[in-house]
Amino acid sequence: MNLNSLIIKNFTRNLKNYALYIFALVFSVALFFSLLTLTFDEKAGEEISQSTAMNALFSVGSVVIVIIIIFFVMFANLIFIKRRHRELALYQLIGMNKSKVFRILLVENFIIYFGSLVLGIILGFFISRLLLMILMKIIGVDLMVEMSFSMVAALTTAGVFVFIFICLLIQNRIFLGRHQLIDLLKLNKVSESSQRPIGVTTALFGILGIVMVAVGYFLSSQMFDMAMEMPVLLPILMLGILFLTIVGTYLIFKCGVALILNFFRKRKAGHVNVKDVLSTTSIMFKMRSNAFLLTIITVITAISITAMSLSYINFYSTEKMLESTEPYDYTVETSEDIDFYEDMLNDEGYSISRYEKEFLLFNVQMDNQMETNLASQDIEGIQYPIVSDADFEGYDVSENEVYATGTMAILDFFTDLEAGTPMTFTTTEGFEKTVQVSKVYSEAVLPTRLTFGMPTLVVDDKVYKELMENEVVSEIDAERPTELAAFNIVEGDNEDVLEMMDKEENPAFSSQQMSYNEMIQTSGILMFVLGYLGFAFLLTSGCILYFKQIDECESEKGSYQVLRKLGFTNNEILRGLVNKMVISFGIPLFIGLLHSIFAVRSGWFIFGVEMWRPTLLVMLIYTILYSIFALMSLLYYKKTVSKSL
Amino acid sequence: MLLKATNIKKSYGNKFNRTEVLKGIDLNLKKGEFVTIMGASGSGKTTLLNVLSSIDKVTSGHIYIDNFDFTTLKDKELADFRKKDLGFIFQEYNLLDTLTVKENIMLPLSIRSMSKSEAENQFETIASQLGISDLKNKYPSQISGGQAQRTSAARAFIHQPKIIFADEPTGALDSKSASDLLKKLQQLNENLNTSVLMVTHDATAASFSHRVVFLKDGLVYTSLSRGDMSQDDYYSEILDTQRVLGGVLDESK
Repeated sequence: MNLNSLIIKNFTRNLKNYALYIFALVFSVALFFSLLTLTFDEKAGEEISQSTAMNALFSVGSVVIVIIIIFFVMFANLIFIKRRHRELALYQLIGMNKSKVFRILLVENFIIYFGSLVLGIILGFFISRLLLMILMKIIGVDLMVEMSFSMVAALTTAGVFVFIFICLLIQNRIFLGRHQLIDLLKLNKVSESSQRPIGVTTALFGILGIVMVAVGYFLSSQMFDMAMEMPVLLPILMLGILFLTIVGTYLIFKCGVALILNFFRKRKAGHVNVKDVLSTTSIMFKMRSNAFLLTIITVITAISITAMSLSYINFYSTEKMLESTEPYDYTVETSEDIDFYEDMLNDEGYSISRYEKEFLLFNVQMDNQMETNLASQDIEGIQYPIVSDADFEGYDVSENEVYATGTMAILDFFTDLEAGTPMTFTTTEGFEKTVQVSKVYSEAVLPTRLTFGMPTLVVDDKVYKELMENEVVSEIDAERPTELAAFNIVEGDNEDVLEMMDKEENPAFSSQQMSYNEMIQTSGILMFVLGYLGFAFLLTSGCILYFKQIDECESEKGSYQVLRKLGFTNNEILRGLVNKMVISFGIPLFIGLLHSIFAVRSGWFIFGVEMWRPTLLVMLIYTILYSIFALMSLLYYKKTVSKSL
Repeated sequence: MLLKATNIKKSYGNKFNRTEVLKGIDLNLKKGEFVTIMGASGSGKTTLLNVLSSIDKVTSGHIYIDNFDFTTLKDKELADFRKKDLGFIFQEYNLLDTLTVKENIMLPLSIRSMSKSEAENQFETIASQLGISDLKNKYPSQISGGQAQRTSAARAFIHQPKIIFADEPTGALDSKSASDLLKKLQQLNENLNTSVLMVTHDATAASFSHRVVFLKDGLVYTSLSRGDMSQDDYYSEILDTQRVLGGVLDESK
């Protein structure tokens, strides 16, 4: 038997062990390749008006994916080479020198790696077509997805993976070089960390970790309030929060978890049962030695869930945002423009309903207004657009009330427009009138281009007239529009109408439909790329945890055997292992989710109008997919336990 | 008779390629008796111990403990039976290295409805007899081999089983620790009146027991009782029998 036939034999025998590794590799290649294919897809680029943004996002996305893949593949490789230490030792024992052993690994890796590469590119090709269809669906563009294979993408993928392959070879070489024969033979016997009782330092650091995370959370909920007062603080705060939560997370894994589990253990005073043996006591030590890895996984989980939630909030809120920014199908500049379009549309069989209203701008002071906000303009108050309830259907305001419309969540930081707060209309000439805010709507009566983003106040017609009489128009204000000219299409707006109106020679207008298309494309692409990256993160971190569990399972085999010899049944042991899975997978997930809830909470209002529903949906999906890996690990444990006796 | 095994046979392999390891062994063990099984490598002594201790199943034959035949029990019932009535000491200590010494010892009590103070008492008694009370909060990686094996012995005794099975308990120990351990085993055997069945190929270890059963190629070759002999004489008897049993005599025939 020569070396080559040995390699082949060995490889086919080992194939089962490699199954998941190969699966993960194929999938990473497929993910990367399909993202690249989308980037290079010219057809899609032409259809999407935001294609430059798309390309930029896709390129950033693929770089991130490469980094994840490198990290993941090298980690998996290390676990697999460690698992085979006995075999490697045997080769050396029978007189093979290290470079020959290295050659065996090289050939094996080569087969696995490039086999996966080819498979991955084929799979990626189909995935990319599927993804393109999904993307087009999300952003609402009609496009026949064609079967075009991008050579550039294939070559780039191959190039990147050759680079990763070289990294792996270097890693294997270092592993072989560093370990003497005797180490390889013994590797299994040394446990990952020597078990020692938990000391005072551990306890202190554990508590410190928990405190750091708590402070980070607290700061994150105060961040924007504080930054309002001193904008300089914002980047410092952000960095501070990141630092606190990441280091805190690390300390929690390194010491905190052990501390908490040890507390429960101490309370049992030695009376442990088999469940504790398999879960708490073993995890206590395992988490400590895996603290770094777990921190990375947790932080990545938190980042990707946050990013996905925010982008989904953004996407989810598009329609609602439009209600507060573009309340009418079309807004034009003057009544003549409406006439123009009415003639044009009537010829085509469409009728329109016209909205021609006036409004005024008035200084408003609010008693509980945060004085520091917009400090430069204070004393005089803020100018709000005011309309009369007689002009707008569905509003009936009494004399001492005012309704606020078109308020977006982000405005909460500038104003305190809440039901029940009094507000006073003032002029420089001493006029004052106080009314009470009684209702707050996110829908708008005036489009943002007329209000400059301020909420519009609806008042009773009498109040409106009173205000109009007392209005003092300063020179700057005279430039601002005070008339609304807009119309809705009675039959309902559609793309045909928009296309008809959207000509160079026609008067300018802003269209709800057009804004919608633009917004949905930007937020759709963003959501798509982030969802894609999130999926890649999920897949790799899940696989890493799974590999780690397999590794632990192999090294704990002896314990299961002892327990079964002592008379514990399969089921009793498995129940303990279920606990172990819940804790090992649950803690990183739980901390990750908690991090992202606080992260989302601190800044969601910039992205949309609703936080909980989209965020919880993202988290739910993530948790379900993530649990699959815990389940797979449990099955592996189950197999090992029943075979152990 | 506490343990009674009749015509035990055990073979491995498939229909076409069978190796018979135990070829029909009869063995008895009285309450409070300390019996050693000796034999060359491959004579089937560890297989016999595994079968008698219900870790492995017999191919044919019956094993009675307190007149109850456990060879017909299912896996789960067997596990319960082991938990309740049997104790184990292994060559490689087999302590769980994430548990402290105390937790390792208390493990078999966890499935019993025993009050905490009662369990605590039990632990103190056994631990002080074996001289490991001071180690109770240490982890297995922090103690010596001899201490680890005494911990393992404490674990085997703590739930007051009917029989202790010990597979080469001194195999990994130096001679001082080995004789320490065996003395303790002997003491516990006498004090608690617990039967011990030990497998070893070390004549010194065997000389601590009441009776030695010699196996050869899957059959009982002979057996030797200490009776009133001094330990020294008993030791030389064992050595002699071992020499007869060994391959040298066969060749000279």
